[in-house]
Amino acid sequence: MNGFQQIDKLSGVAGAAALVVLAVAPLVFPGNYLIGVLTVAAIYGIWAVSWDFMSGLTGRENFGHSLFIGVGAYVAGVVNVQMELGPWWSLPASMLLAVAFALLLGFPTLRLKGPYFALAMLSAAVIMQRLMLIFWEYTGGEEGIQDIAPLIRNNLHYYWFVLVVLAATTFILSWMARSRWGLILRAIRGDEATCLAAGIPITTYKIVSLVISAAFAGLGGALYAHYQLQVSPQLFAVVTSVTIITMVYVGGMGTIYGPVGGALLLTLLTEGLRNFGEWRLMIYSLLLIFILFFLPNGFIAPLWKRVRSGWGDRA
Amino acid sequence: MEILIYGAVTSAIYAMLAVGFTLIFGVARVLNLAHGSFYALGAYGTYVLTSIVGLPLWLAALLAIAGVSVFGVVVEKALIRPLRYSQLGVLMITLAVSLVVEQALFLIFGSEYRNVPAFIDTKVSIGGVDVAGQRLLTLVVAVVAIGALYLFIQRTRLGSAILAISQDAEAAKYMGIPSDRIFSLVMAISAALAALAGVLAGPFLSVQPSMHLLPIVKAFAIVIVGGLGSIPGSILAALMLGYAETLVAYLISTSWTEIVSVLATLLTLVFRPAGIFGKRAAF
Repeated sequence: MNGFQQIDKLSGVAGAAALVVLAVAPLVFPGNYLIGVLTVAAIYGIWAVSWDFMSGLTGRENFGHSLFIGVGAYVAGVVNVQMELGPWWSLPASMLLAVAFALLLGFPTLRLKGPYFALAMLSAAVIMQRLMLIFWEYTGGEEGIQDIAPLIRNNLHYYWFVLVVLAATTFILSWMARSRWGLILRAIRGDEATCLAAGIPITTYKIVSLVISAAFAGLGGALYAHYQLQVSPQLFAVVTSVTIITMVYVGGMGTIYGPVGGALLLTLLTEGLRNFGEWRLMIYSLLLIFILFFLPNGFIAPLWKRVRSGWGDRA
Repeated sequence: MEILIYGAVTSAIYAMLAVGFTLIFGVARVLNLAHGSFYALGAYGTYVLTSIVGLPLWLAALLAIAGVSVFGVVVEKALIRPLRYSQLGVLMITLAVSLVVEQALFLIFGSEYRNVPAFIDTKVSIGGVDVAGQRLLTLVVAVVAIGALYLFIQRTRLGSAILAISQDAEAAKYMGIPSDRIFSLVMAISAALAALAGVLAGPFLSVQPSMHLLPIVKAFAIVIVGGLGSIPGSILAALMLGYAETLVAYLISTSWTEIVSVLATLLTLVFRPAGIFGKRAAF
Protein backbone atom coordinates (compact mmCIF):
# COMPACT_ATOMS: atom_id res chain seq x y z
CA MET A 1 0.00 0.00 0.00
CA ASN A 2 2.84 2.31 0.89
CA GLY A 3 4.44 1.76 -2.47
CA PHE A 4 1.18 2.48 -4.20
CA GLN A 5 0.93 5.83 -2.39
CA GLN A 6 4.44 6.78 -3.30
CA ILE A 7 4.03 5.99 -6.95
CA ASP A 8 0.85 7.99 -6.82
CA LYS A 9 2.75 11.01 -5.48
CA LEU A 10 5.20 10.64 -8.31
CA SER A 11 2.32 10.72 -10.80
CA GLY A 12 0.97 13.81 -9.09
CA VAL A 13 4.32 15.56 -9.34
CA ALA A 14 4.64 14.59 -13.00
CA GLY A 15 1.10 15.81 -13.71
CA ALA A 16 1.75 19.13 -11.97
CA ALA A 17 5.03 19.53 -13.86
CA ALA A 18 3.29 18.84 -17.16
CA LEU A 19 0.64 21.39 -16.27
CA VAL A 20 3.25 24.04 -15.48
CA VAL A 21 5.11 23.34 -18.72
CA LEU A 22 1.87 23.66 -20.68
CA ALA A 23 0.90 26.86 -18.89
CA VAL A 24 4.30 28.47 -19.36
CA ALA A 25 4.87 27.32 -22.96
CA PRO A 26 3.01 30.27 -24.56
CA LEU A 27 5.03 32.70 -22.43
CA VAL A 28 8.32 31.21 -23.58
CA PHE A 29 7.23 31.00 -27.21
CA PRO A 30 4.78 33.86 -27.59
CA GLY A 31 2.31 34.01 -30.42
CA ASN A 32 -1.36 33.42 -30.98
CA TYR A 33 -0.66 30.40 -33.15
CA LEU A 34 0.79 28.32 -30.35
CA ILE A 35 -1.94 29.45 -27.93
CA GLY A 36 -4.57 28.35 -30.42
CA VAL A 37 -3.00 24.95 -30.96
CA LEU A 38 -2.60 24.34 -27.25
CA THR A 39 -6.17 25.46 -26.50
CA VAL A 40 -7.52 22.98 -29.03
CA ALA A 41 -5.19 20.31 -27.65
CA ALA A 42 -6.49 20.91 -24.12
CA ILE A 43 -10.10 20.72 -25.29
CA TYR A 44 -9.38 17.46 -27.09
CA GLY A 45 -7.81 16.34 -23.85
CA ILE A 46 -11.10 16.96 -22.01
CA TRP A 47 -12.99 14.99 -24.66
CA ALA A 48 -10.52 12.12 -24.60
CA VAL A 49 -10.59 11.80 -20.81
CA SER A 50 -14.36 11.91 -20.72
CA TRP A 51 -14.52 9.20 -23.37
CA ASP A 52 -12.05 7.08 -21.49
CA PHE A 53 -13.96 7.36 -18.24
CA MET A 54 -16.99 5.62 -19.67
CA SER A 55 -15.65 3.48 -22.47
CA GLY A 56 -12.14 2.81 -21.30
CA LEU A 57 -13.22 1.67 -17.85
CA THR A 58 -16.35 -0.31 -18.68
CA GLY A 59 -15.18 -1.50 -22.08
CA ARG A 60 -18.36 -0.27 -23.75
CA GLU A 61 -17.09 1.66 -26.72
CA ASN A 62 -18.95 4.82 -27.45
CA PHE A 63 -18.78 5.53 -31.17
CA GLY A 64 -20.93 8.61 -30.87
CA HIS A 65 -19.06 10.76 -28.40
CA SER A 66 -19.32 13.55 -30.95
CA LEU A 67 -23.03 13.60 -30.14
CA PHE A 68 -22.39 14.97 -26.64
CA ILE A 69 -19.71 17.31 -27.91
CA GLY A 70 -21.97 18.66 -30.64
CA VAL A 71 -24.90 19.00 -28.26
CA GLY A 72 -22.71 20.93 -25.83
CA ALA A 73 -21.42 23.23 -28.55
CA TYR A 74 -24.86 23.86 -30.05
CA VAL A 75 -26.35 24.58 -26.65
CA ALA A 76 -23.62 27.16 -26.17
CA GLY A 77 -24.55 28.68 -29.52
CA VAL A 78 -28.29 28.70 -28.89
CA VAL A 79 -28.03 29.98 -25.34
CA ASN A 80 -25.59 32.66 -26.31
CA VAL A 81 -26.75 33.86 -29.72
CA GLN A 82 -30.45 33.07 -29.89
CA MET A 83 -31.48 33.36 -26.27
CA GLU A 84 -28.98 36.17 -25.72
CA LEU A 85 -27.90 35.01 -22.31
CA GLY A 86 -24.41 35.71 -21.02
CA PRO A 87 -21.69 33.35 -22.22
CA TRP A 88 -21.14 31.75 -18.80
CA TRP A 89 -24.66 30.32 -18.85
CA SER A 90 -23.71 28.00 -21.66
CA LEU A 91 -21.38 25.89 -19.51
CA PRO A 92 -24.00 24.52 -17.11
CA ALA A 93 -26.66 24.46 -19.82
CA SER A 94 -24.53 22.37 -22.17
CA MET A 95 -23.60 19.93 -19.44
CA LEU A 96 -27.24 19.54 -18.53
CA LEU A 97 -28.43 18.85 -22.05
CA ALA A 98 -25.58 16.43 -22.76
CA VAL A 99 -26.66 14.57 -19.62
CA ALA A 100 -30.23 14.48 -20.89
CA PHE A 101 -29.05 12.90 -24.13
CA ALA A 102 -26.92 10.41 -22.23
CA LEU A 103 -29.96 9.28 -20.25
CA LEU A 104 -32.12 9.09 -23.34
CA LEU A 105 -29.64 6.91 -25.21
CA GLY A 106 -28.10 5.07 -22.30
CA PHE A 107 -31.31 3.77 -20.80
CA PRO A 108 -32.44 1.65 -23.77
CA THR A 109 -29.02 0.53 -24.95
CA LEU A 110 -26.85 -0.03 -21.89
CA ARG A 111 -29.23 -2.59 -20.42
CA LEU A 112 -28.35 -4.90 -23.26
CA LYS A 113 -25.29 -6.96 -23.76
CA GLY A 114 -23.63 -7.04 -27.12
CA PRO A 115 -22.83 -4.23 -29.48
CA TYR A 116 -26.11 -2.32 -29.26
CA PHE A 117 -24.66 0.59 -27.35
CA ALA A 118 -21.75 1.21 -29.72
CA LEU A 119 -24.00 1.06 -32.76
CA ALA A 120 -26.83 3.10 -31.30
CA MET A 121 -24.43 5.88 -30.34
CA LEU A 122 -22.90 5.85 -33.81
CA SER A 123 -26.26 6.17 -35.52
CA ALA A 124 -27.51 8.74 -33.05
CA ALA A 125 -24.54 10.97 -33.87
CA VAL A 126 -25.03 10.55 -37.61
CA ILE A 127 -28.72 11.36 -37.33
CA MET A 128 -28.04 14.40 -35.14
CA GLN A 129 -25.71 15.75 -37.80
CA ARG A 130 -28.49 15.34 -40.37
CA LEU A 131 -31.01 16.98 -38.06
CA MET A 132 -28.76 20.01 -37.71
CA LEU A 133 -28.97 20.42 -41.50
CA ILE A 134 -32.69 19.67 -41.68
CA PHE A 135 -33.78 22.13 -38.99
CA TRP A 136 -31.67 24.88 -40.42
CA GLU A 137 -34.08 27.58 -39.25
CA TYR A 138 -32.90 26.97 -35.70
CA THR A 139 -29.42 25.61 -36.19
CA GLY A 140 -28.16 27.61 -39.14
CA GLY A 141 -27.82 24.53 -41.34
CA GLU A 142 -24.46 24.00 -42.99
CA GLU A 143 -23.25 27.38 -41.72
CA GLY A 144 -24.01 26.63 -38.10
CA ILE A 145 -24.34 29.36 -35.52
CA GLN A 146 -21.99 32.30 -35.85
CA ASP A 147 -20.90 35.16 -33.59
CA ILE A 148 -20.79 33.35 -30.27
CA ALA A 149 -19.37 35.58 -27.59
CA PRO A 150 -16.00 34.57 -26.09
CA LEU A 151 -15.95 33.59 -22.43
CA ILE A 152 -12.72 35.43 -21.83
CA ARG A 153 -11.49 37.96 -24.35
CA ASN A 154 -7.79 37.49 -23.81
CA ASN A 155 -6.62 34.40 -25.75
CA LEU A 156 -3.91 33.52 -23.28
CA HIS A 157 -6.20 33.82 -20.29
CA TYR A 158 -8.79 31.67 -22.04
CA TYR A 159 -6.14 29.06 -22.72
CA TRP A 160 -5.23 29.02 -19.04
CA PHE A 161 -8.89 28.68 -18.14
CA VAL A 162 -9.27 25.70 -20.49
CA LEU A 163 -6.11 24.20 -19.05
CA VAL A 164 -7.50 24.50 -15.54
CA VAL A 165 -10.71 22.81 -16.66
CA LEU A 166 -8.65 20.03 -18.25
CA ALA A 167 -6.61 19.56 -15.09
CA ALA A 168 -9.74 19.55 -12.93
CA THR A 169 -11.49 17.09 -15.25
CA THR A 170 -8.52 14.77 -15.28
CA PHE A 171 -8.13 15.00 -11.53
CA ILE A 172 -11.82 14.37 -10.79
CA LEU A 173 -12.15 11.53 -13.26
CA SER A 174 -8.93 9.78 -12.29
CA TRP A 175 -9.88 10.12 -8.64
CA MET A 176 -13.24 8.55 -9.42
CA ALA A 177 -11.57 5.87 -11.54
CA ARG A 178 -9.36 4.91 -8.62
CA SER A 179 -12.20 4.94 -6.11
CA ARG A 180 -14.45 2.01 -5.33
CA TRP A 181 -16.72 3.30 -8.06
CA GLY A 182 -13.99 2.99 -10.69
CA LEU A 183 -13.10 -0.44 -9.39
CA ILE A 184 -16.66 -1.57 -10.04
CA LEU A 185 -16.60 -0.11 -13.54
CA ARG A 186 -13.41 -2.02 -14.26
CA ALA A 187 -14.95 -5.16 -12.82
CA ILE A 188 -17.85 -4.71 -15.23
CA ARG A 189 -15.39 -4.65 -18.08
CA GLY A 190 -13.83 -7.83 -16.78
CA ASP A 191 -16.92 -9.91 -16.22
CA GLU A 192 -20.47 -8.63 -16.20
CA ALA A 193 -22.04 -11.89 -15.11
CA THR A 194 -19.88 -12.11 -11.99
CA CYS A 195 -20.66 -8.50 -11.07
CA LEU A 196 -24.33 -9.20 -11.46
CA ALA A 197 -24.01 -12.28 -9.29
CA ALA A 198 -22.27 -10.16 -6.65
CA GLY A 199 -25.36 -7.99 -6.50
CA ILE A 200 -23.94 -4.99 -8.33
CA PRO A 201 -26.56 -3.11 -10.35
CA ILE A 202 -24.37 -2.96 -13.44
CA THR A 203 -26.82 -1.09 -15.64
CA THR A 204 -27.07 1.75 -13.14
CA TYR A 205 -23.31 1.97 -12.93
CA LYS A 206 -22.93 2.04 -16.69
CA ILE A 207 -25.63 4.66 -17.20
CA VAL A 208 -24.25 6.91 -14.47
CA SER A 209 -20.75 6.67 -15.88
CA LEU A 210 -22.11 7.54 -19.32
CA VAL A 211 -23.87 10.54 -17.78
CA ILE A 212 -20.64 11.72 -16.17
CA SER A 213 -18.75 11.17 -19.39
CA ALA A 214 -21.39 13.08 -21.36
CA ALA A 215 -21.38 15.98 -18.91
CA PHE A 216 -17.67 16.57 -19.38
CA ALA A 217 -17.89 16.05 -23.14
CA GLY A 218 -20.67 18.64 -23.30
CA LEU A 219 -18.59 21.01 -21.20
CA GLY A 220 -15.70 20.53 -23.61
CA GLY A 221 -18.08 21.15 -26.50
CA ALA A 222 -19.16 24.46 -24.99
CA LEU A 223 -15.54 25.46 -24.40
CA TYR A 224 -14.81 24.64 -28.03
CA ALA A 225 -17.77 26.72 -29.22
CA HIS A 226 -16.57 29.68 -27.19
CA TYR A 227 -13.09 29.26 -28.60
CA GLN A 228 -14.10 28.96 -32.26
CA LEU A 229 -16.89 31.54 -31.70
CA GLN A 230 -19.07 29.45 -34.01
CA VAL A 231 -20.42 25.93 -34.24
CA SER A 232 -21.02 23.79 -37.31
CA PRO A 233 -22.68 20.40 -37.88
CA GLN A 234 -19.22 19.05 -38.64
CA LEU A 235 -18.75 18.66 -34.89
CA PHE A 236 -21.20 15.77 -34.89
CA ALA A 237 -19.24 13.92 -37.56
CA VAL A 238 -18.09 10.38 -36.93
CA VAL A 239 -14.59 11.66 -37.63
CA THR A 240 -14.69 13.65 -34.40
CA SER A 241 -15.44 10.52 -32.41
CA VAL A 242 -12.79 8.53 -34.23
CA THR A 243 -10.18 11.21 -33.62
CA ILE A 244 -10.95 11.05 -29.92
CA ILE A 245 -10.91 7.26 -29.86
CA THR A 246 -7.55 7.28 -31.64
CA MET A 247 -6.19 9.67 -29.01
CA VAL A 248 -7.39 7.35 -26.26
CA TYR A 249 -5.88 4.34 -27.96
CA VAL A 250 -2.57 6.13 -28.41
CA GLY A 251 -2.66 7.18 -24.77
CA GLY A 252 -3.68 3.82 -23.41
CA MET A 253 -7.29 2.89 -22.78
CA GLY A 254 -8.67 2.94 -19.27
CA THR A 255 -5.81 4.90 -17.74
CA ILE A 256 -7.44 8.38 -17.71
CA TYR A 257 -4.12 10.26 -17.77
CA GLY A 258 -2.91 8.43 -20.88
CA PRO A 259 -5.62 9.86 -23.15
CA VAL A 260 -4.68 13.42 -22.11
CA GLY A 261 -1.16 12.71 -23.29
CA GLY A 262 -2.56 11.09 -26.43
CA ALA A 263 -4.68 14.15 -27.14
CA LEU A 264 -1.77 16.55 -26.67
CA LEU A 265 0.61 14.41 -28.70
CA LEU A 266 -1.79 13.88 -31.59
CA THR A 267 -2.95 17.49 -31.75
CA LEU A 268 0.63 18.70 -31.92
CA LEU A 269 1.42 15.97 -34.45
CA THR A 270 -1.58 17.05 -36.50
CA GLU A 271 -0.25 20.59 -36.56
CA GLY A 272 3.04 19.20 -37.76
CA LEU A 273 1.16 17.36 -40.49
CA ARG A 274 -0.70 20.46 -41.57
CA ASN A 275 1.22 20.48 -44.83
CA PHE A 276 -0.42 17.19 -45.70
CA GLY A 277 -3.77 18.95 -45.63
CA GLU A 278 -6.35 16.56 -46.96
CA TRP A 279 -4.25 13.54 -46.07
CA ARG A 280 -4.56 14.17 -42.35
CA LEU A 281 -7.66 12.07 -41.71
CA MET A 282 -6.24 9.30 -43.84
CA ILE A 283 -3.11 9.28 -41.69
CA TYR A 284 -5.31 9.20 -38.59
CA SER A 285 -7.26 6.19 -39.76
CA LEU A 286 -4.14 4.33 -40.78
CA LEU A 287 -2.52 5.19 -37.45
CA LEU A 288 -5.55 3.72 -35.70
CA ILE A 289 -5.24 0.48 -37.65
CA PHE A 290 -1.54 0.35 -36.88
CA ILE A 291 -2.09 0.82 -33.16
CA LEU A 292 -4.87 -1.76 -33.06
CA PHE A 293 -2.49 -4.31 -34.48
CA PHE A 294 0.83 -3.51 -32.91
CA LEU A 295 0.22 -1.52 -29.74
CA PRO A 296 -3.07 -2.70 -28.27
CA ASN A 297 -2.17 -1.12 -24.92
CA GLY A 298 -1.39 2.25 -26.41
CA PHE A 299 1.80 4.20 -26.27
CA ILE A 300 1.85 6.81 -23.55
CA ALA A 301 0.56 4.92 -20.52
CA PRO A 302 2.94 1.95 -20.96
CA LEU A 303 5.82 4.39 -21.46
CA TRP A 304 4.96 6.25 -18.28
CA LYS A 305 4.59 3.02 -16.33
CA ARG A 306 8.06 2.00 -17.42
CA VAL A 307 9.53 5.38 -16.47
CA ARG A 308 7.71 5.30 -13.16
CA SER A 309 8.84 1.83 -12.19
CA GLY A 310 12.40 2.81 -13.11
CA TRP A 311 12.21 5.71 -10.66
CA GLY A 312 10.49 3.58 -8.06
CA ASP A 313 13.47 1.21 -8.10
CA ARG A 314 15.94 3.98 -7.51
CA ALA A 315 13.95 5.62 -4.72
CA MET B 1 -50.08 4.29 -55.66
CA GLU B 2 -47.00 6.47 -55.57
CA ILE B 3 -46.47 5.52 -51.96
CA LEU B 4 -46.83 1.87 -52.82
CA ILE B 5 -44.17 1.94 -55.54
CA TYR B 6 -41.67 4.31 -53.98
CA GLY B 7 -41.97 2.54 -50.67
CA ALA B 8 -41.24 -0.75 -52.36
CA VAL B 9 -38.13 0.65 -54.05
CA THR B 10 -36.80 2.16 -50.82
CA SER B 11 -37.50 -1.10 -49.01
CA ALA B 12 -35.68 -3.05 -51.72
CA ILE B 13 -32.52 -1.00 -51.32
CA TYR B 14 -32.67 -1.25 -47.54
CA ALA B 15 -33.24 -4.98 -47.75
CA MET B 16 -30.16 -5.52 -49.93
CA LEU B 17 -28.06 -3.56 -47.44
CA ALA B 18 -29.52 -5.10 -44.31
CA VAL B 19 -29.47 -8.71 -45.47
CA GLY B 20 -25.73 -8.57 -46.11
CA PHE B 21 -25.11 -6.81 -42.82
CA THR B 22 -27.12 -9.29 -40.81
CA LEU B 23 -25.70 -12.28 -42.71
CA ILE B 24 -22.10 -11.58 -41.81
CA PHE B 25 -23.14 -10.94 -38.24
CA GLY B 26 -25.24 -14.07 -37.98
CA VAL B 27 -22.49 -16.27 -39.37
CA ALA B 28 -19.23 -14.76 -38.21
CA ARG B 29 -20.46 -12.57 -35.31
CA VAL B 30 -18.78 -9.68 -37.07
CA LEU B 31 -20.47 -6.30 -36.91
CA ASN B 32 -19.13 -4.77 -40.04
CA LEU B 33 -19.10 -1.00 -39.82
CA ALA B 34 -17.40 -0.93 -43.21
CA HIS B 35 -20.57 -2.34 -44.78
CA GLY B 36 -21.59 1.09 -46.05
CA SER B 37 -18.20 1.44 -47.70
CA PHE B 38 -18.99 -1.53 -49.93
CA TYR B 39 -22.12 0.28 -51.03
CA ALA B 40 -20.12 3.45 -51.73
CA LEU B 41 -17.38 1.56 -53.54
CA GLY B 42 -19.96 -0.15 -55.74
CA ALA B 43 -21.34 3.18 -56.88
CA TYR B 44 -17.91 4.78 -57.35
CA GLY B 45 -16.54 1.72 -59.10
CA THR B 46 -19.31 1.88 -61.67
CA TYR B 47 -18.73 5.58 -62.09
CA VAL B 48 -15.02 5.13 -62.74
CA LEU B 49 -15.42 2.20 -65.10
CA THR B 50 -18.07 3.87 -67.23
CA SER B 51 -17.16 7.56 -67.19
CA ILE B 52 -13.38 7.29 -67.11
CA VAL B 53 -12.47 3.87 -68.50
CA GLY B 54 -15.43 3.90 -70.87
CA LEU B 55 -16.70 0.37 -70.44
CA PRO B 56 -20.32 -0.47 -71.22
CA LEU B 57 -22.52 -0.13 -68.19
CA TRP B 58 -23.44 -3.77 -67.60
CA LEU B 59 -19.79 -4.84 -67.71
CA ALA B 60 -18.75 -1.97 -65.46
CA ALA B 61 -21.44 -2.87 -62.95
CA LEU B 62 -20.40 -6.52 -62.89
CA LEU B 63 -16.73 -5.65 -62.53
CA ALA B 64 -17.48 -3.17 -59.76
CA ILE B 65 -19.50 -5.71 -57.82
CA ALA B 66 -16.85 -8.39 -58.28
CA GLY B 67 -14.12 -5.93 -57.26
CA VAL B 68 -15.94 -4.89 -54.10
CA SER B 69 -16.53 -8.50 -53.25
CA VAL B 70 -12.81 -9.23 -53.52
CA PHE B 71 -12.09 -6.13 -51.45
CA GLY B 72 -14.48 -7.43 -48.79
CA VAL B 73 -12.69 -10.76 -48.63
CA VAL B 74 -9.29 -9.07 -48.40
CA VAL B 75 -10.49 -6.85 -45.56
CA GLU B 76 -11.93 -9.88 -43.80
CA LYS B 77 -8.76 -11.95 -44.15
CA ALA B 78 -6.15 -9.29 -43.50
CA LEU B 79 -7.81 -7.04 -40.95
CA ILE B 80 -10.89 -8.53 -39.34
CA ARG B 81 -9.77 -12.11 -38.80
CA PRO B 82 -6.74 -11.33 -36.60
CA LEU B 83 -8.98 -9.29 -34.29
CA ARG B 84 -11.98 -11.55 -34.20
CA TYR B 85 -11.32 -12.59 -30.63
CA SER B 86 -12.41 -9.11 -29.53
CA GLN B 87 -15.70 -7.56 -30.54
CA LEU B 88 -14.37 -4.09 -29.81
CA GLY B 89 -11.37 -4.73 -32.02
CA VAL B 90 -13.65 -5.71 -34.90
CA LEU B 91 -15.79 -2.61 -34.46
CA MET B 92 -12.73 -0.38 -34.34
CA ILE B 93 -11.02 -1.95 -37.32
CA THR B 94 -14.10 -1.89 -39.54
CA LEU B 95 -14.79 1.70 -38.56
CA ALA B 96 -11.19 2.56 -39.44
CA VAL B 97 -11.55 0.79 -42.78
CA SER B 98 -14.70 2.74 -43.57
CA LEU B 99 -12.89 5.99 -42.83
CA VAL B 100 -9.90 5.02 -44.93
CA VAL B 101 -12.26 4.29 -47.82
CA GLU B 102 -14.12 7.56 -47.30
CA GLN B 103 -10.89 9.53 -47.20
CA ALA B 104 -9.50 7.73 -50.24
CA LEU B 105 -12.68 8.56 -52.19
CA PHE B 106 -12.45 12.12 -50.99
CA LEU B 107 -8.81 12.47 -51.98
CA ILE B 108 -9.37 10.99 -55.42
CA PHE B 109 -12.76 12.37 -56.38
CA GLY B 110 -13.27 15.39 -54.13
CA SER B 111 -16.43 16.02 -52.19
CA GLU B 112 -18.74 16.94 -55.07
CA TYR B 113 -21.57 14.68 -56.17
CA ARG B 114 -20.92 12.27 -59.02
CA ASN B 115 -23.37 10.95 -61.57
CA VAL B 116 -23.62 7.24 -61.98
CA PRO B 117 -25.32 6.33 -65.26
CA ALA B 118 -28.69 4.62 -65.09
CA PHE B 119 -29.42 1.33 -66.80
CA ILE B 120 -32.81 2.54 -67.96
CA ASP B 121 -33.45 6.19 -68.67
CA THR B 122 -37.08 5.96 -69.67
CA LYS B 123 -39.96 6.43 -67.34
CA VAL B 124 -42.58 3.75 -66.94
CA SER B 125 -46.17 4.55 -66.15
CA ILE B 126 -47.90 2.27 -63.68
CA GLY B 127 -51.48 3.01 -62.69
CA GLY B 128 -51.10 6.63 -63.73
CA VAL B 129 -47.83 7.16 -61.86
CA ASP B 130 -44.60 7.87 -63.71
CA VAL B 131 -41.75 5.90 -62.21
CA ALA B 132 -38.16 6.07 -63.38
CA GLY B 133 -37.22 2.78 -64.99
CA GLN B 134 -34.09 2.59 -62.85
CA ARG B 135 -36.16 2.45 -59.69
CA LEU B 136 -38.26 -0.40 -61.02
CA LEU B 137 -35.15 -2.23 -62.11
CA THR B 138 -33.73 -1.80 -58.61
CA LEU B 139 -36.85 -3.36 -57.18
CA VAL B 140 -36.79 -6.31 -59.55
CA VAL B 141 -33.07 -6.99 -59.17
CA ALA B 142 -33.30 -6.76 -55.40
CA VAL B 143 -36.11 -9.28 -55.26
CA VAL B 144 -34.23 -11.63 -57.58
CA ALA B 145 -30.93 -11.26 -55.70
CA ILE B 146 -32.41 -11.82 -52.27
CA GLY B 147 -34.55 -14.68 -53.59
CA ALA B 148 -31.47 -16.29 -55.09
CA LEU B 149 -29.58 -15.88 -51.83
CA TYR B 150 -32.45 -17.49 -49.96
CA LEU B 151 -32.50 -20.46 -52.33
CA PHE B 152 -28.72 -20.72 -52.12
CA ILE B 153 -28.80 -20.92 -48.34
CA GLN B 154 -31.78 -23.25 -48.14
CA ARG B 155 -31.04 -25.61 -51.02
CA THR B 156 -27.28 -26.02 -51.52
CA ARG B 157 -24.59 -27.79 -49.53
CA LEU B 158 -22.63 -24.61 -49.02
CA GLY B 159 -25.81 -22.90 -47.91
CA SER B 160 -26.45 -25.46 -45.23
CA ALA B 161 -22.85 -25.05 -44.09
CA ILE B 162 -23.55 -21.35 -43.67
CA LEU B 163 -26.72 -22.09 -41.73
CA ALA B 164 -24.91 -24.61 -39.56
CA ILE B 165 -22.23 -22.12 -38.58
CA SER B 166 -24.77 -19.44 -37.79
CA GLN B 167 -26.58 -21.84 -35.48
CA ASP B 168 -23.56 -23.15 -33.65
CA ALA B 169 -20.09 -22.26 -34.89
CA GLU B 170 -18.28 -24.70 -32.66
CA ALA B 171 -20.45 -27.71 -33.45
CA ALA B 172 -20.17 -26.89 -37.14
CA LYS B 173 -16.40 -26.92 -36.84
CA TYR B 174 -16.48 -30.37 -35.26
CA MET B 175 -18.57 -31.56 -38.18
CA GLY B 176 -15.69 -30.63 -40.44
CA ILE B 177 -17.08 -27.43 -41.90
CA PRO B 178 -14.16 -25.15 -42.85
CA SER B 179 -15.49 -22.13 -40.98
CA ASP B 180 -12.80 -19.69 -42.12
CA ARG B 181 -13.53 -20.40 -45.76
CA ILE B 182 -17.24 -19.99 -45.11
CA PHE B 183 -16.62 -16.63 -43.43
CA SER B 184 -14.79 -15.43 -46.51
CA LEU B 185 -17.60 -16.64 -48.72
CA VAL B 186 -20.23 -14.90 -46.61
CA MET B 187 -18.16 -11.73 -46.59
CA ALA B 188 -17.98 -11.88 -50.38
CA ILE B 189 -21.76 -12.32 -50.65
CA SER B 190 -22.42 -9.58 -48.14
CA ALA B 191 -20.06 -7.14 -49.88
CA ALA B 192 -21.47 -8.01 -53.29
CA LEU B 193 -25.04 -7.33 -52.14
CA ALA B 194 -24.04 -3.95 -50.71
CA ALA B 195 -22.17 -3.08 -53.90
CA LEU B 196 -25.18 -4.14 -55.96
CA ALA B 197 -27.33 -1.77 -53.93
CA GLY B 198 -24.80 0.98 -54.60
CA VAL B 199 -24.71 0.30 -58.33
CA LEU B 200 -28.48 0.27 -58.63
CA ALA B 201 -29.30 3.14 -56.31
CA GLY B 202 -26.35 5.30 -57.39
CA PRO B 203 -28.20 6.96 -60.28
CA PHE B 204 -31.01 8.33 -58.13
CA LEU B 205 -29.32 8.77 -54.76
CA SER B 206 -26.38 10.99 -53.97
CA VAL B 207 -22.92 9.61 -54.70
CA GLN B 208 -20.25 11.31 -52.62
CA PRO B 209 -17.51 10.18 -50.21
CA SER B 210 -19.56 10.19 -47.01
CA MET B 211 -22.43 8.27 -48.60
CA HIS B 212 -21.53 5.16 -46.63
CA LEU B 213 -22.84 6.53 -43.34
CA LEU B 214 -26.58 6.62 -43.86
CA PRO B 215 -26.75 3.08 -45.27
CA ILE B 216 -24.96 1.75 -42.21
CA VAL B 217 -27.34 3.63 -39.94
CA LYS B 218 -30.36 2.31 -41.84
CA ALA B 219 -28.99 -1.21 -42.00
CA PHE B 220 -28.39 -1.08 -38.28
CA ALA B 221 -31.93 0.15 -37.55
CA ILE B 222 -33.43 -2.55 -39.77
CA VAL B 223 -31.33 -5.27 -38.28
CA ILE B 224 -32.24 -4.23 -34.74
CA VAL B 225 -35.94 -4.10 -35.56
CA GLY B 226 -35.83 -7.38 -37.44
CA GLY B 227 -33.61 -9.18 -34.99
CA LEU B 228 -29.82 -9.26 -35.25
CA GLY B 229 -28.75 -12.17 -37.43
CA SER B 230 -32.18 -13.03 -38.83
CA ILE B 231 -32.57 -12.72 -42.61
CA PRO B 232 -36.38 -12.94 -42.80
CA GLY B 233 -36.52 -10.46 -39.94
CA SER B 234 -34.39 -7.95 -41.77
CA ILE B 235 -36.43 -8.29 -44.97
CA LEU B 236 -39.64 -7.66 -43.06
CA ALA B 237 -38.08 -4.76 -41.14
CA ALA B 238 -36.73 -3.30 -44.39
CA LEU B 239 -40.26 -3.30 -45.79
CA MET B 240 -41.63 -1.70 -42.64
CA LEU B 241 -38.97 0.97 -42.51
CA GLY B 242 -39.08 1.64 -46.25
CA TYR B 243 -42.83 2.17 -46.21
CA ALA B 244 -42.80 4.07 -42.93
CA GLU B 245 -40.24 6.50 -44.34
CA THR B 246 -42.14 6.93 -47.59
CA LEU B 247 -45.37 7.57 -45.68
CA VAL B 248 -43.73 10.09 -43.42
CA ALA B 249 -42.19 11.80 -46.44
CA TYR B 250 -45.62 12.12 -48.04
CA LEU B 251 -47.67 13.00 -45.00
CA ILE B 252 -45.29 15.26 -43.09
CA SER B 253 -42.10 16.16 -44.93
CA THR B 254 -38.97 14.49 -46.23
CA SER B 255 -37.02 16.08 -43.38
CA TRP B 256 -38.67 13.81 -40.86
CA THR B 257 -37.76 10.53 -42.56
CA GLU B 258 -34.43 10.35 -40.78
CA ILE B 259 -36.18 10.31 -37.44
CA VAL B 260 -38.19 7.20 -38.31
CA SER B 261 -35.23 4.85 -38.15
CA VAL B 262 -33.95 6.26 -34.87
CA LEU B 263 -37.37 6.07 -33.30
CA ALA B 264 -37.83 2.51 -34.54
CA THR B 265 -34.45 1.52 -33.13
CA LEU B 266 -35.05 3.09 -29.74
CA LEU B 267 -38.57 1.68 -29.40
CA THR B 268 -37.38 -1.79 -30.34
CA LEU B 269 -34.53 -1.67 -27.89
CA VAL B 270 -36.84 -0.56 -25.09
CA PHE B 271 -39.74 -2.93 -25.69
CA ARG B 272 -38.37 -5.91 -27.54
CA PRO B 273 -34.57 -5.87 -27.66
CA ALA B 274 -34.44 -9.16 -29.54
CA GLY B 275 -36.30 -7.66 -32.50
CA ILE B 276 -39.20 -9.23 -34.37
CA PHE B 277 -37.54 -12.51 -35.26
CA GLY B 278 -34.63 -12.49 -32.86
CA LYS B 279 -34.30 -15.58 -30.75
CA ARG B 280 -32.20 -14.33 -27.89
CA ALA B 281 -32.69 -11.20 -25.85
CA ALA B 282 -28.95 -10.74 -25.66
CA PHE B 283 -26.01 -12.77 -26.74
